Amino acid sequence: MSHTRYRIASAGKPRPFPPEAMARIQAILARYPTKQAALLPVLWVAQETYGWISKESAEEVARILDLPPSHVDGVLTFYTMYNLHPVGTHLLQVCTSISCHLAGAGELIEHCRKRLGVGLEETTKDGKFTIVEVECIAGCDRAPSMMVNDKYYEPMDEKKLDGLLDQLSGRA
Amino acid sequence: MDGYLADGGYAAWKKAVGGGLTPEQLTEEVKKSGLRGRGGAGFPTGVKWGFIPKDTKGKPVYLLCNADESEPGTFKDRLLMEEDPHQVIEGVALSAYAIKCQTAYIYIRGEFYDGARILDEALAEAYANGFLGRNILGSGVTLDITVHRGAGAYICGEETGLIESLEGKRGQPRIKPPFPAVHGVFGSPTIVNNVETLACVTHIVNRGAEWFAKIGRNEKNTGPKLYCLSGQVNRPGVYEAAMGLPLKDLIFGDDFGRGMKGGRKVKAVIPGGASANMLTAAEIEDCPLDFDGVAAKGSMLGSAAIIVMNEDVCIVNAAQNLSKFFSHESCGQCTPCREGTPWLYRVLTRIEDGEGRVEDVDLLTRICNQMANGMTICVFADAAIAPPLSSVAKFRDEYMHHIEHKRCLVGAKAAMATA
Amino acid sequence: MSSQPQKPMVPGGGGVPSSPAAPPPPQKDTFTVIFDGKPIEVPKNLNLIDAAKLAGIDIPHFCYHPRLSVVGQCRMCLVEIEGIPKIQAACTTPLKDGLSVKTATEKVRSSRAATMEFLLINHPLDCPICDQAGECTLQDNSFGYGHQLSNYDESKRQYPTFDRTMIGPHVIADMTRCIQCTRCIRFTQEIAGTSELTFLDRGGRTLVWTHEGQALDNDWSGCAADVCPVGALTTREFRFRSRVWYLQKTKSVCPGCNVGCNVSIESKEDVVYRFLPRYNPDVNDYWLCDHGRFLSESLNARDVYRATLRQGNSVQDIIVPAGIQRLAAEIRTTVDGTGPAGLFFLGSAHLSNEENFLLRKLADHLACPNRDVSVDKSRTRKIKRKTDWVEGDDAAANFRGARDMGLAPAKNGYGLEAVLSGKASPEVVIVADADFAAAADDPASVAALRRARFLAVCARTANALTRAADVVLPASSLAEKEGTFTNVQGRVQRFERAFLPRPPVRATWELLLQLSTELGFGDRNWTPADLLAAIAKEIPAYAGIDPKDLEGGRLLKKGDFAWNGTL
Repeated sequence: MSHTRYRIASAGKPRPFPPEAMARIQAILARYPTKQAALLPVLWVAQETYGWISKESAEEVARILDLPPSHVDGVLTFYTMYNLHPVGTHLLQVCTSISCHLAGAGELIEHCRKRLGVGLEETTKDGKFTIVEVECIAGCDRAPSMMVNDKYYEPMDEKKLDGLLDQLSGRA
Repeated sequence: MDGYLADGGYAAWKKAVGGGLTPEQLTEEVKKSGLRGRGGAGFPTGVKWGFIPKDTKGKPVYLLCNADESEPGTFKDRLLMEEDPHQVIEGVALSAYAIKCQTAYIYIRGEFYDGARILDEALAEAYANGFLGRNILGSGVTLDITVHRGAGAYICGEETGLIESLEGKRGQPRIKPPFPAVHGVFGSPTIVNNVETLACVTHIVNRGAEWFAKIGRNEKNTGPKLYCLSGQVNRPGVYEAAMGLPLKDLIFGDDFGRGMKGGRKVKAVIPGGASANMLTAAEIEDCPLDFDGVAAKGSMLGSAAIIVMNEDVCIVNAAQNLSKFFSHESCGQCTPCREGTPWLYRVLTRIEDGEGRVEDVDLLTRICNQMANGMTICVFADAAIAPPLSSVAKFRDEYMHHIEHKRCLVGAKAAMATA
Repeated sequence: MSSQPQKPMVPGGGGVPSSPAAPPPPQKDTFTVIFDGKPIEVPKNLNLIDAAKLAGIDIPHFCYHPRLSVVGQCRMCLVEIEGIPKIQAACTTPLKDGLSVKTATEKVRSSRAATMEFLLINHPLDCPICDQAGECTLQDNSFGYGHQLSNYDESKRQYPTFDRTMIGPHVIADMTRCIQCTRCIRFTQEIAGTSELTFLDRGGRTLVWTHEGQALDNDWSGCAADVCPVGALTTREFRFRSRVWYLQKTKSVCPGCNVGCNVSIESKEDVVYRFLPRYNPDVNDYWLCDHGRFLSESLNARDVYRATLRQGNSVQDIIVPAGIQRLAAEIRTTVDGTGPAGLFFLGSAHLSNEENFLLRKLADHLACPNRDVSVDKSRTRKIKRKTDWVEGDDAAANFRGARDMGLAPAKNGYGLEAVLSGKASPEVVIVADADFAAAADDPASVAALRRARFLAVCARTANALTRAADVVLPASSLAEKEGTFTNVQGRVQRFERAFLPRPPVRATWELLLQLSTELGFGDRNWTPADLLAAIAKEIPAYAGIDPKDLEGGRLLKKGDFAWNGTL
């Protein structure tokens, strides 16, 4: 089945949180009446620390929050924004929901794939770009809408996309 | 913050915590205003607040701001949070005060990085100004607001899915009853309100319920409304107008969509986000964009996400795209939705790819009819069936064309020869 | 909502001086629920599905289980509730007085058929190779409530790398068969408390699995396969061994420890294929631990098929009566010689109350004060009941019962410890169960017992003791006899015979009865029921135990080893 989220990749080594991350986690824990409620925010801290969430990170989060590792896995795989394996420096998220689809998102993503030479959810060999399809990101009036990591780029077209990729490859 | 204060911001909040407005009075104002939820369900907000038990048996009350805006075609909450976060925060605060809540969370979808950052900064300003925290402005009122980021799940916009997600679990909606107002997050009474709804509360307190109720088509559909217009119009965007703006005005009006791009004709309009039944070009006549107006046309206003499709759009293709969305976003708990949404997508794909059979059209309708109306735990399934059910009912010949000719009737693929 | 009970009219209304008002009707502790027009009184805390069962109505379901949290996910139990327009899941509908339920309308029929259709579009047609066939809720509900033909023409979703894979030491997963009912997940969370299982991903791609590197490895993992309504989780030990409809079910008690979980011995053609838990809310509820469950195979083990007699260095096959007569002769020689104190009778915590009782009665008859029983200790095993756990740490089922039957040294007598340490030296040692404890395979212990002039054992499997014995009599397994055990709670529980032992193998009680009648005690026609009746007559704590009325077990009055009879 395409694009399933069954396997959480291993980092090959333990993933402790650095002190600043632990400080953030402590601050987060103070805002919730249960440790479990802090799970999504703490997973974000893990992803911001390492770029993705490995099996080792998941186990560390489970340990800190007193949760069974299986529970953390269940949450981690339910929510699509948590990366379960390493992704490229620039995560290209192209919306393919209805308004963007009507505006040509399908062609846009094909163009992007061909230019990068990878399939969906795959990373370029130089590790710079990963391309994924996402569902509506609330940029419908500036369709086709896309995000690169945490920034919106909208409206996007093939020419602008080429320019953006040039710029990002140069920089990265 | 300075700009907001200069515009009279937080005056309502100061009045409320200063004792100038009791929680009961505030709730009464909201009831009188006729404010109905702007998240999609259109439930009267004041009435919802009233569902909190008088005796909460020592349990705290929680207010959750639903900023999970994920309905395709909707982008108004993103605008509100990015451009005017204090309006939202004040609305949250006032609503929390009304229901005697001391802890509120803004559940914002993970993709809204900017929105979350802006809200965090605005909250820091609010705390710094003494508008939040313990003993606010010496009034004895306590309120903490925390931004809680989701991580990519449309179903967390469903109020109990949101509650489950806030508790640190998979966002799988709960069985109702018990209702959140009685037993919600952390086992406590909880109210979930949409961003726009809460922002309205700020204005209701400032300018009065009468002012709010006078705006809008009738006393059941009151207040100003943010409309999200997208699709093949000249000027897509967020437009604020009185509840009940005629749909044709939104699409063609000079202050609004300014008509169809390239002068193409309207073929179909989805008036309320992906979960709403499609309307044909004929049906957009005399369609006031409010809860009852759109309902009378056999669809729903929902999140007021108006998606306009022109004559070059293949309806089967559009339905296929929408069914892909629903099959991706189904939480997977209950059988009819978990199995039905991918089934719909597979059949629609087959038809779109030229491998449809005559029986498939009625098959789609049958699948839809056995997924909804109580078959599932939540109404995600009722939403998921809207595109295929309404498009088959209203554009049947387009489906039959696909099946007979193995290609689209209109659009880019129509001209393609098939093997 | 219709059919609310009317408030009683207060007699003597307005204005007229009235007699004291009638007292309000007493609060019921039941609700009136109406199923398809027929009212029935049900306990208030019942789930609607269980209430329907009381009314004789079967509401089909998958995800509901009386001991697991209610999730309402499978959507099979849909019924119509009067006053509510949409179809409702029965399991999540709270009971209330006057609730009116319709289970046989067209809407209910079509909803059930719809759910079945949805479940079967992706479910693989594995029945011909699936162990669950014959006890599969999906098969049963499809047959009862589903369509006959499929209208599904798309590709099915599969989980190929999660099929035919061990998910734990005892459980095999075939996840393509899974219907995502979450019973197994809830079992590991709520009963076992180990939370190994979880959902991964979402929507139509939802998969049940463990955290990678973790296995479904708790003390009750076999129960996860029990609760699975389909063949997604099955036990390795049973895989492909038999079709379930050929298996004969016999009510028995687990021999693994002194908790005494109720089991069903499932056998075919005199071979035990598996244990399944048998529901008993007072002992093991719906559960069975892996240790006990997988002892089933051990009941098939046998090394001793016929009686043997050691002559010098060689061992000869003999007929059972010859062995018994030889033992009887040796016993008489000692009784007539040094006296009955030269005998030693060793019972067993693996043997039934009837067998241990008969052994002790024989010792009494011979006026021998030397009788004993011993048990090994194990780690604490426990099983969950509705609100608590039952724990035991004996490595056998019936130490309590054996002691209750009087197997302890009588006045001036000695026990096993004395014999093993050399303080006592019996001439004739009678071991009713050669596998009585680990000591039976321990060279030093066996050597101590071997110091006797004559050593006789009843045995099923070989060990150091059987190899050292003079006479070995072939004894049956638990499956090949009936009797009672007394568990850690002091509950007498009956186990039935699944099949007869193959001659010349006999039940231990039969061998002991032959021996005792040979020595002038007892009636050849006695059965275990007669023995139990004798126990009830003689042992005060067991008074009132009726062999014909032991369903569910009988709790003895409190108090420890009740028999304090003297010789």
